[in-house]
Amino acid sequence: MNLVLIVLVVSVIAAVLAAVLVFADTYINNYGECEIDVNEGTRTYTVKGGTSLLGALTDQKLFIPSACGGRGTCGYCKVKVIDGGGPVLPTEDGFLSPEEKKENVRLSCQVKVRGNIKIRIPDDLLSVREFTCVCSRIRELTYDIREFRFTLEEPDSITFVPGQYVQLLSPVYAGSSEEVYRAYSISSNPADTAAIELVIRLVPGGICTTYCFEHLKEGSPVRFNGPYGEFRMSDTDAPMIMIAGGSGMAPFNSILHQMKSTGCTRTAVYFFGARKVRDLFYIDEMRAFEKELPNFTFIPVLSEPQGEQWDGETGLVTEAVQRHFNDASGHEAYLCGSPGMIDASIVVLKKLGVPEDRIYYDKFS
Amino acid sequence: MKQTVQMQELEALMRSSQIVAGGFLGSDTRPLSEIIEADEADVAALGATLDGLGAKMAELTAAGKRGLGTAVAVGDGLSVRVEESRGLLICPWPNHGRFLKTETIVTRLDTGVSIHWSDLSAHLIAAHGFFQGRGSAFRVEPRDLVAMLSLYHPSSEHPSGTS
Repeated sequence: MNLVLIVLVVSVIAAVLAAVLVFADTYINNYGECEIDVNEGTRTYTVKGGTSLLGALTDQKLFIPSACGGRGTCGYCKVKVIDGGGPVLPTEDGFLSPEEKKENVRLSCQVKVRGNIKIRIPDDLLSVREFTCVCSRIRELTYDIREFRFTLEEPDSITFVPGQYVQLLSPVYAGSSEEVYRAYSISSNPADTAAIELVIRLVPGGICTTYCFEHLKEGSPVRFNGPYGEFRMSDTDAPMIMIAGGSGMAPFNSILHQMKSTGCTRTAVYFFGARKVRDLFYIDEMRAFEKELPNFTFIPVLSEPQGEQWDGETGLVTEAVQRHFNDASGHEAYLCGSPGMIDASIVVLKKLGVPEDRIYYDKFS
Repeated sequence: MKQTVQMQELEALMRSSQIVAGGFLGSDTRPLSEIIEADEADVAALGATLDGLGAKMAELTAAGKRGLGTAVAVGDGLSVRVEESRGLLICPWPNHGRFLKTETIVTRLDTGVSIHWSDLSAHLIAAHGFFQGRGSAFRVEPRDLVAMLSLYHPSSEHPSGTS
């Protein structure tokens, strides 16, 4: 009985001390003005200390990718803290590899600004902006995939590289009590700077996709930030193998628009895997690209064509790639889709002689 | 099972939609501890174990992944298909990891009856005995899961779409 009492008393004391520390840190500590140095002085911000690094940067309109809104649950908001970040917290530990810890990578949402901080981020993030826009068109592509067009308001134009993505804000709605961001590749023509289009598949239980499919209407206001990402077409002349499935179509549609508008004559073979005819979309657009791009071929592949009117390629998309090439050693490969599809495609492409460093991919993870 | 303070905090998180739309408890008004206790009792009464169920679910998901989105024939008249989406989900229990947004759909070929689970919901069953609340998107009844998995034997897999 005494032992239980002692444990209880110690627990209560520890809880009270923890509460006092949190209270003191929040309301009493005054860290004053702190300086955040980004990329060796490329940008310098003076901020009021005491907030999270992620929050301080967001207030300065410097957007670090984050899906959970800074709650420390997604692990996306990594930055390299060169100086001033303090020790790694237990809340970050599970998100950081040993290599990342050695390199001083931190979750910016868990780093508190208590003094001057020096950080290093990819240069691309410096050009990320927040956009407000209006959903100007919703187009049903398949039974579970839709295309959303967002016409920009502020700023009223966007520059992006085909293959990049944006983070769409899912606001609070009936059934979702928190704002979250989710990443989607831009599908549209980069020359169309007044709007972007996203291809989104409904995910069961998905917070943002449920918002997009059940709550977002034409005319609704929308916010996103971006563009992000390094998945893009190289500037070589190497022939390309493109492989995608489902909403992985998006970046390739954008890349093909760019190839058309720049008069690109690179050879490109695009394999698009789907289960049934009802899962195919953008077929007319792809056939139009075949006419407009002299060396482009589109090959849709159905894995479950039984009972359907279909005389195209069948089987797994990777099997179609293997049937089409004996030796692809001079090629570059571009992949976008599920981790399983990408992993299987990499195995096949390496067998066909494509060097691993010429296989570029955007994995859904 | 006692509904501890930690369990109450966990239940509040699960009733919110911070991790999945609609939360993990759906329309189930029972306390979290009661849901877990009742389902664990059902599993035991059916002669199954959480570890055993978790292992078979993991095997089926792995078999389905080889179909790259296409149904794969497995076991005694089952097909399994895996859909993968962009992103990760965290376990609501503290420090229990992150899981790819993977949905495994297992179907009895003779009746067409299906059950589905995500990588996260398979973890919740195996590690926490939590089958989710009634009315939630990924609730699976223990008896349905046990019955379906009893038809699975890890042999004679092939993508049904290509055979």
